[in-house]
Amino acid sequence: MTSPRQRATAEFILDHLVWFMLAAVLIAFSIFVPNFFQIGIFANIVEQSTFVGVMAIGLAIVIIAGHMDLSVESTAALAAMITGILFCSRGIGMGLTFAPEWLVIPVSLVISLAVGGLIGFLNGFFTIKLKMNAFIVTLASYIWVRGLVVAISGGRSAQDLSPSLRSIGIEQVLYIPLMAWIAIICFVMFSFIMGRTPFGRHVTLIGGNAVAAFRAGIKVDRLMFISFILAGAIAGLAGWLLAIRTSGATANLGTGMLFNAFAAVVIGGVSLKGGVGKLPGVYAGVLLLSSIHTAINLMGLPAHYTQVILGLLVLAAVLLDTLKIQIRQRFA
Amino acid sequence: MNRLRRLLTASIAIAAMGVVSPAFADTKGKIYYMVPTLLDEFQTESVNAITKFMDDVGYEVVTLNADNKTDLQQSQMNDTILQKPSAIILAAVDFNALAPSIDKARAAGIPVMIFDRQITSTPSDLTSVAGTIEIGQVAAGEIQRLLKEKNGAVKGKVLQVLGDPADPYSLDIQKGFEDKMKEFPGVQIISLPAMQWEASNAGTIVSDQMVANPDIDLIFLHAAHLSVAAVAALEAKGKKPGDVMMISSNGAPVGLDLIRKGWLNVEVEQPLYAQAAALAMFADKVVNKQEIKPGNYNVLGLDSVMTIEKWGPNIKIPGAAITKENVDEPRFWGNLKAPADKIMPVQ
Repeated sequence: MTSPRQRATAEFILDHLVWFMLAAVLIAFSIFVPNFFQIGIFANIVEQSTFVGVMAIGLAIVIIAGHMDLSVESTAALAAMITGILFCSRGIGMGLTFAPEWLVIPVSLVISLAVGGLIGFLNGFFTIKLKMNAFIVTLASYIWVRGLVVAISGGRSAQDLSPSLRSIGIEQVLYIPLMAWIAIICFVMFSFIMGRTPFGRHVTLIGGNAVAAFRAGIKVDRLMFISFILAGAIAGLAGWLLAIRTSGATANLGTGMLFNAFAAVVIGGVSLKGGVGKLPGVYAGVLLLSSIHTAINLMGLPAHYTQVILGLLVLAAVLLDTLKIQIRQRFA
Repeated sequence: MNRLRRLLTASIAIAAMGVVSPAFADTKGKIYYMVPTLLDEFQTESVNAITKFMDDVGYEVVTLNADNKTDLQQSQMNDTILQKPSAIILAAVDFNALAPSIDKARAAGIPVMIFDRQITSTPSDLTSVAGTIEIGQVAAGEIQRLLKEKNGAVKGKVLQVLGDPADPYSLDIQKGFEDKMKEFPGVQIISLPAMQWEASNAGTIVSDQMVANPDIDLIFLHAAHLSVAAVAALEAKGKKPGDVMMISSNGAPVGLDLIRKGWLNVEVEQPLYAQAAALAMFADKVVNKQEIKPGNYNVLGLDSVMTIEKWGPNIKIPGAAITKENVDEPRFWGNLKAPADKIMPVQ
């Protein structure tokens, strides 16, 4: 027999387990990894979480809605390459400029969002309208969109991004890079949308039980379609940020980020079965991964260890998820 | 009826002209180029160079991209062998894993030429390389010079950003570099790999290391495209060109641009055009299984040495150190001005 207070405490810990893991890891690294405990390193961790973090938001929304989107990495690469081609002045860049110069920021952002949204629309169309399997549809997109990146770039790179855009990658606010603030704002905004608006609640309901949601009068197909478009557009935003970070784009930009995004989503407590998960947890998952990457960089360990640790962490996260259900049942 | 007959006759004549058109008549045969990836500029430009130079000596080139996947390249080799081409040019994804495929092709009577990525574990018909180990050695020489200029002696801290840790190309550069730096214990080398040769991974490494080790004197990156992200990371840390010395390798256009802007001190070039031209110069001899004689050859103005090694004829073309002084010379492939003169076959 457990008291309501004990139960509330256990629920709180279970709901925020990934944050406790993050805190434990940061404390351990600060004690044991030389040069880790300093503001610059923490700022780096937050900054490096930007791209995978933003990408993971869209991925998490689709997974919470009960589907899958494997195309986010390639979509981000396409958005980055188009940004690079249009607004870089060297390599394959066309060096488009505007007067006033700052207009390049909203224009390039809108283009990136539109490119991502278009890929998301296609994914949604095939999955929702033609009832094709989302895994296969988005796997196909993962392949053909990356192919398109290589085709439009001819394997070449674009460099020297417009100075106005580059300023976003250089400026800092309160010791934290501006790009990281963009990711944080995205997480806050979409956490609110998913947790506090009918759209978010309905998407979660659909992921939990699409039939029940349909019977409750929720427009299941429409909301799932929107989820795919959102995931694509958010991936486009990740690509835009990536181009800014690297001052251009190469054909292999973003390679491997899909798996990091997936890992972050799972570690963050989003169930791959759909209907369960909160975006703040996903952000904690991204920060956790980024902390591990940084610690491995500082320790000078071979990078293979990152992958081993990453894999074990995902396994541990799934194990914890299973344990959480059992513990919850015990307290129920 | 007569009109129809005339039309038919004209069609057959046009078709026949097509069949015996000069393009077809002059082709000595097809050569397949197995390119490891098209995700970097060196490989992309190698396709253009090999296609152009082989065309100069009468061969048509078909390119197959392995997308950096060893198993895919092995399958492509198997498929290509069945096409019975005049020869295969291989730039292997994995140096050793492709050795059985080379043996299989040669057993089927198809000569195999190795481009850029040297394979010493099995015989081939011609190897044209700058030498990845040598690239590391050239970089080491330049780094020693730069450290001495800055610190008065060869001492200091060097951050080495490798490519993917599973890519032997990067590991060879690392070997050549570190072997040559061993005699200078005053140089501390921090080596970290940019997984999958992805630029933002290199940016992350530089970003972290500049905080943890702000006294880094020099950054050595194994590919020019990685240095773009490294520069972006340095800029974000408030650094200006020249604050941290930088060297990268392969000679891609991005690297040359960074030299012009003052960020990169040296780019160690792989002489792509000369490497590709050497294959074309000896293509007839390889295809006709004629003897290739050792000695010195002039390949696009570079003094190159042909030796007969246990893995076969091997032409080594010197890689160059590109600096601000010589960056605009058209011989560097990074300036993307492929030689217009026709390649002449070696008699």
